[in-house]
Amino acid sequence: MSVGARSLKIEAIIRVLGVALALGTIVAVGVHFHEAAMLPVAPVVGAFFVAIVIGEMFTVTLPGSRLTAPMATAAALAFAMTVDSPKTPSESYEGVLVVAVTAIAMVIGSIPHVVRGRPVRLPDLANRLIGIAVAALLFRWLPISHGRDVLDLQAGWPPYVLALVMVLVSALALTIQVFLLASVRAGRSHAPFVRTLEDEFRAALGLTAALSATGTLIALAERPLGIVAIPLFLFPLVLTQFAVRRHSAIRRTYRQTIRTLSRLTELAGYTETGHASRVAELSIAMGHELGMSERDVLDLEYAALLHDIGQVSLTEPIPGGATVLAAPADQRRIAHDGAEIVLQTGVLDNVALILEAQTTPYRQVRELGQDLPLASRIIKVCNAYDDLTGEGADAARSNAAIERIHLGLGYEYDPRVVDALIHVLARGQ
Amino acid sequence: MSDKGSKGRPRSVGVPSHAVAFYIAAVVLCALGLAVLGWRTRPLNHHDVVPLVVLCAMGVLGSSSQERNVGGRIGFSFTSIILLAAVAILGPFGAAVVGTVAHLLELNKHPFQVRVFNSGMTSAFGAVGGFVYVLTDGAIGATGVSGVGPILIHVGAPLMLADVVICLLNAVILSGIVRLTQGTPMRRFVLGMLGTSGPVYVGYGVIGFLFVILWAPAGVGPASAVLILAPLFVARWAFVQYGDQQRAHERSLSALVAAVETKDLYTRGHSERVALLCDLMAGSLTLSQQDTEALRFAGMLHDIGKLAIPTRVLRKGDGLLDADLAIIATHPERGFEMVRDIDFLKGSFEAILHHHERMDGRGYPDGLVGEDIPLFARIISVADAFDSLTTSRAHREAYTVEEALTELQRRAGTHFDPTIVSALERGLARQIWTPTQLEPALMATAGRAFDHDDPSASDLMTGIASPAPVGHTPKIMAAVPAREDAR
Repeated sequence: MSVGARSLKIEAIIRVLGVALALGTIVAVGVHFHEAAMLPVAPVVGAFFVAIVIGEMFTVTLPGSRLTAPMATAAALAFAMTVDSPKTPSESYEGVLVVAVTAIAMVIGSIPHVVRGRPVRLPDLANRLIGIAVAALLFRWLPISHGRDVLDLQAGWPPYVLALVMVLVSALALTIQVFLLASVRAGRSHAPFVRTLEDEFRAALGLTAALSATGTLIALAERPLGIVAIPLFLFPLVLTQFAVRRHSAIRRTYRQTIRTLSRLTELAGYTETGHASRVAELSIAMGHELGMSERDVLDLEYAALLHDIGQVSLTEPIPGGATVLAAPADQRRIAHDGAEIVLQTGVLDNVALILEAQTTPYRQVRELGQDLPLASRIIKVCNAYDDLTGEGADAARSNAAIERIHLGLGYEYDPRVVDALIHVLARGQ
Repeated sequence: MSDKGSKGRPRSVGVPSHAVAFYIAAVVLCALGLAVLGWRTRPLNHHDVVPLVVLCAMGVLGSSSQERNVGGRIGFSFTSIILLAAVAILGPFGAAVVGTVAHLLELNKHPFQVRVFNSGMTSAFGAVGGFVYVLTDGAIGATGVSGVGPILIHVGAPLMLADVVICLLNAVILSGIVRLTQGTPMRRFVLGMLGTSGPVYVGYGVIGFLFVILWAPAGVGPASAVLILAPLFVARWAFVQYGDQQRAHERSLSALVAAVETKDLYTRGHSERVALLCDLMAGSLTLSQQDTEALRFAGMLHDIGKLAIPTRVLRKGDGLLDADLAIIATHPERGFEMVRDIDFLKGSFEAILHHHERMDGRGYPDGLVGEDIPLFARIISVADAFDSLTTSRAHREAYTVEEALTELQRRAGTHFDPTIVSALERGLARQIWTPTQLEPALMATAGRAFDHDDPSASDLMTGIASPAPVGHTPKIMAAVPAREDAR
């Protein structure tokens, strides 16, 4: 429970910080507004503003429902790091202006999403703004040597050094974003923080590299090309965005297909309606609870969805499809047949392994030192729980089921997994 | 066929014939001549050494990392981008060298002949691109060019022209080798290739241009390579992942469907063969790639509804009652219900629902007539019957391909769509089809189980008198649930 509360707090902090950053910088810019100082930088600022607004409109959902706005982020990073479109650094714009303009652009760019009824998550926007603020801070404000910031120092650097510094600044800003995102997600899924951080970094690595490079490219090309650099150098990123979008789409389709296939045994009358998807849902929650990585949780989900597929080899269905009540030998045969079927796909070997071991009693781990996948142990417990409670379980049936599972504790079921089940169930109520 | 649309190595250069060897030698000689001419136009000097080494290294890296056939027609050629950069930075000779080195030293294990051909061809691209660049007033090294206008005029436009010429040259040279090795008409190959990889080449041009700007006017030099290629590598990575996932998805779908279908002994392998036949006919009917895919999925899943039919009915032998037939006749609707939640199968729904309709309107479930039957359903209907006929049964041998086609033609017009039957014929003329011999053990178990796909079964189920083992009455259709159920 405390984990959940903490995550809510972190989410609230991010939200407040984002809003404060936006409002604070907008007010600061408004108060110190000098038309004469703004005039030379107006075209550049305007161009970046437009780029961010458009970029915000084209969001991409990465696998694992991570919402990103690659083009907006790249443009904003470049905005924070552009060096000398005004002729001298003294005429350049301040970091405060970057944050204020980015914030306004983000909000305007989100309007189409709101109009079309797509969810706009404030913590996501706030998180992105914080990342940009970090980049602006590092590049345009932080005194590095003798009270001078990067913007002042870079005049004496060769271009490749400047490029390197820009890449580092962007990477750092994006890393902070990932870090904040991980703390929010860890709380939501009730998974350990370090594990979530690892997952987030793995998921964000490719795009982070592409964004750091593109932000740097635009900022560097601003010098010879002016604002034309913005659309030109966003072009490779459009390609990246397209590819990433296709990739996430096929991942979603794959998942949907497995979900539908898992219902085929139900439609054929082998298993009870909704059994597979309930077991999958419970298994996922327990996988997070037990600190499994995102990849392992996906295998677990597929295995949980397909755990009864072996039943199709039976000529006549088991009454009610409840394998927990079947004889152990039959259970093992069904598990084995299921694993064989999944093995035929040639691409779900991990899932087949999990299925094969899903009926193995836990005592074989203790007594024979057999290596039993955690996912198999989770499915064994979840399957038993759902077979015993069925659809729309009330508290009494749930308690009775837990009691029955407790009887097999340490012999049939892994005590750690059963504990996790109790935690997950307690949270759900 | 899968080769078209992407630049580079003709994979089928396996059997060295004299004509092919001669063609390759000619390409290499031309390339050498062009390189010499390039040197005389603009020799390299000592400033060019570092860029030359860096671009060559990147070219080797690019050609080595090329992965073909990623997710349909999407393929990246980093080498093309680097070659274009070389054109602008080093001129004709330098670009020719980069082209040669990139393919000669590539780390992929291609046959020597392919390697030589690719080197020669790419070297020629570099030289010719360089000439176009110089002739159209392009500034080599992009030196002394500043400001947006001059950069576009003296770097951007010449580079795009060079890009277009390289693209054309690529199509022409490749069409020659494909003509020699595969017999594809050159004109068709060139047009096909320009259609598919033309737009990709525009992309290469733009990215090559960005590369050059960053290299010279922005003064980043060789380091710009890392920056410009990072988003592209990520894109490529995502495409590769996409391709993998797509394959995984299709394999999972077919394998799991096949497994689930094992209930019906005659269905084993049937769906996959129907999908194959659909693919064959899609080729004859020149369907688009997207349609072909939807059709293949429909073929794979057309009988999925049989899952909802009790096993005892499916495995029943001779004693099949009208009531049983009526139950079997519900499988298209059951199948439709099962898959209608899968978004990506949207194009396949109708085909699954109507694959037992007949041209004369006596099919099920809706009794649609002629062209009212969706095209995909008419295709699957033919594939379905053909596979059923060419598969051995307990009570008869498998039909030969000719016998099966004769039977289908006899039924063309009443049962099947004649244009589809002839599309199948054309398809089978291109590819050898072996009738399926079921294992004796399987046949023994299956016994005389009812095969609803046999065209004669269709007659039986519509109530037409026909040589059939079982009596029937028209009430069968009445027993089929109304279509509203399915919707």
